[in-house]
Amino acid sequence: MVEHWRTRFAFVMAAIGSAVGLGNVWRFPYICYANGGGAFLIPYLVAIFTAGIPLLILEFSVGHWAREAPPKTFKKIGEKWEWVGWWTTLIPFLVATYYVVVMAWCFSYMVYSLDLRWGFNADIFFLNNFLGVSGNPEIIGGFRLPVLFGLLAVWICIFLILYKGVGRIGKVVLITVPLPWILLGLLTIRGLTLPGALEGVSYYLTPNFSKLSDVNVWLAAYAQVFFSLSLAQGIMITYASYLKKKSDISNNAFIIAFADTGTSFLAGFAVFSVVGYLALQKTVEIDSLGISGPPLAFITYPTAISLFPVAAIIFGFLFYIALLTFGIDSLFSMIEPMVASAEGKWGIKKTQATAIICSIGFFASLIFTTNSGLYWLTLLDHFVANFGLVVIGLVECLVLGWMFKISKLRDHANETSDVKIGKWWDVLIKYVAPIILILLLIFSIINNIVNPPFGYQAWVIVVGGFAPLLIILILSFAFMKIKKITKVEYKK
Amino acid sequence: MSLSPSAIAMLIIGVTVIYGGLAYFLYRALKSMKK
Repeated sequence: MVEHWRTRFAFVMAAIGSAVGLGNVWRFPYICYANGGGAFLIPYLVAIFTAGIPLLILEFSVGHWAREAPPKTFKKIGEKWEWVGWWTTLIPFLVATYYVVVMAWCFSYMVYSLDLRWGFNADIFFLNNFLGVSGNPEIIGGFRLPVLFGLLAVWICIFLILYKGVGRIGKVVLITVPLPWILLGLLTIRGLTLPGALEGVSYYLTPNFSKLSDVNVWLAAYAQVFFSLSLAQGIMITYASYLKKKSDISNNAFIIAFADTGTSFLAGFAVFSVVGYLALQKTVEIDSLGISGPPLAFITYPTAISLFPVAAIIFGFLFYIALLTFGIDSLFSMIEPMVASAEGKWGIKKTQATAIICSIGFFASLIFTTNSGLYWLTLLDHFVANFGLVVIGLVECLVLGWMFKISKLRDHANETSDVKIGKWWDVLIKYVAPIILILLLIFSIINNIVNPPFGYQAWVIVVGGFAPLLIILILSFAFMKIKKITKVEYKK
Repeated sequence: MSLSPSAIAMLIIGVTVIYGGLAYFLYRALKSMKK
């Protein structure tokens, strides 16, 4: 039986909860910093309008039209496209394996905030004391126990909430979505009142037009939009399939896209104001501060928390709870399509499917809890977002735009939507988005071959970046080929 | 230190487009719910 959202408000909150997550407060600032601050914002806004919003409407429309999990949805488009549905279902699981580790970091920092353990050298504490980062990815080292325990706690938490079903998610996100926004706003105000904050904000907002010719900046912008809006991950298709028949599609898509972008934009102020403060303290240029990559948010937010004039401990504790809730909303949505797909294909009970998927996820995440975990996490995140999500987004545009009557989906969306979408949408899905994505992918693949990312050894890049993407592609075809197991066979 | 004109322009564009867009579509949603 198809479950339904209790109210439109619950659906919007759940979809915002999925779209608004660590992708906004953790990933957006570090990708923006790595791509030149203000130089990144223009491609990012272009990506929102040329791919983000059109694809969000596309995924909502097709999910609402098919009312099935992604594999069955694509099977309805054409028998041979079922693998695309499996591909979109498996990739968020790959994202979840490292996303949950970032949540485990948040979990540990929630505990550390009780005595502000990071002190006034949050960068040294995070990299040396907390993660104990090894010299390079080849030195695996041992497990970092605080990260490992955090990981276990988060997976158990996800299991307990998920197996109860979509109605429960609606209830949870009604509480978890607004709180992080309030705390992020307070943190931004504190950051902006620090000495040097304006330097950081200036770095964040000043466009560097020479960077607009860098194809990597553009690819990073499109990848960030896909990651942040939970696109090309089967998530929005699954969520839309739970919507009631007369639910609005396009207006919900616009609300979610703008809420997500607004959260990222706000988080940028919170992080870059502290970046400016840190640069002033260390008397270095912002570019040469040396805190780039995934650790950025775990250096800047704690610094701002420590500098709170009153109640820093309470605020810090609440902030990390808020980050955890931000992440949990999104993590639900990453696992939910797999659970729904497994139920639909093999008739497995929801509890069993959730338990199996959460267990596999826990073991797959273990590499990221070692001393070299940060290197592997950075690498997988780079490949999954820049190549996995962008390629799947492209395939979705091609399959739904060219192998299916796209105007049928537009009519379906317009039937129940307050905001009517025009033919411009067909053009964006069929021509504009695919052309941009194909060009970016070609140039970026060449670039990655000529200049290996992060300067890692070739085998590290193959094992940590390329192989996981290839494995899920093979699994997608395998799952399509495996015949549906009937309930009778299953019982035997 | 003050923000450059291009940074101020970016701030105005960002705030207007993103938060203005959000406010507009929330308004549309609330209006249609009342009907």
